[in-house]
Amino acid sequence: METLTIEAESNLIIPAEISRSSGLRPGDEVPLHDATDRLFLFIEDLEARAAAQEWWNSMSEEDQRLAREEAEWYESLSEEERDAIWNEGNEELEKWLDEDDDEDDEGDEFDISTITRPAGTRPVG
Amino acid sequence: MNLTFQPSHVLPARVLLDKGVARRVYEFRVRVAKNLPPTQLQTESMIVFRRLIHRAVQLYITTECANILQRRQPRYAKTILIRAETLSKGRYLRRWARRLRSFGFSPEDAVVTAYASFGLISHSQIARVEVVVTNDLRLAKNFKAQKANIEDRFKRMVSNLLDPYSSLKLPEVVTTADALAST
Repeated sequence: METLTIEAESNLIIPAEISRSSGLRPGDEVPLHDATDRLFLFIEDLEARAAAQEWWNSMSEEDQRLAREEAEWYESLSEEERDAIWNEGNEELEKWLDEDDDEDDEGDEFDISTITRPAGTRPVG
Repeated sequence: MNLTFQPSHVLPARVLLDKGVARRVYEFRVRVAKNLPPTQLQTESMIVFRRLIHRAVQLYITTECANILQRRQPRYAKTILIRAETLSKGRYLRRWARRLRSFGFSPEDAVVTAYASFGLISHSQIARVEVVVTNDLRLAKNFKAQKANIEDRFKRMVSNLLDPYSSLKLPEVVTTADALAST
């Protein structure tokens, strides 16, 4: 692991050897990722581009055309409209969580302990 | 605060991707199809998703996430649905999610975290997820900040249950950036 030192005016100097081996050039943008207990630099472009290319090439021309059409539609949505798509079912989930019921009768949950629980007994907890 | 180039190399065997991660993987591909650069969050999510697959980590998503993906365009959604197994709600999942609510988690965050402990594979076997990967920094930070108390509550709950529930362990909750740093 390399340790970098913050220089005056908050500049961070990446050692020339690391820049070379990572293919970094002056002017390149390097994402700084904010994990919960650390900051780290990650040279992600190549891996991300490879992933995208691999997926795109795996599709037929017709599928690529349809994928572009679908992308046009999705990208035309506002952030709120996209949030609504991905939040479908949240209200029902909240209701399910708040339902007032006997805790030993959990509705649509599947119980696997019945196969090991002695007949006629109920779990506690 | 550490600034590091070199990730650590401890990989879990079973990981639950929360809905936000699935969404960003989906959106990464939409951006590619549009010839637009993906956002940092979309890129992080995609790379974590790929790396976990390549390293043979068993991936899971929740039933709710799978339901949403099944209604989305298959060209973008099917990879996630194929690569990640869908968990169903196991017994005591709701009970644990309710307990988690008392630690300040939103209903959705409480349920996804509870899936990690009480989610079932094929309605019959506990998945025993080790790590939940999320884009939600608030969820990850809240979990980490209160982990000792959450773990204590979890142990007290499962210790009163029969096998196999009594041997369950609490998962870790990490962000995609955390996962990127450790894969």
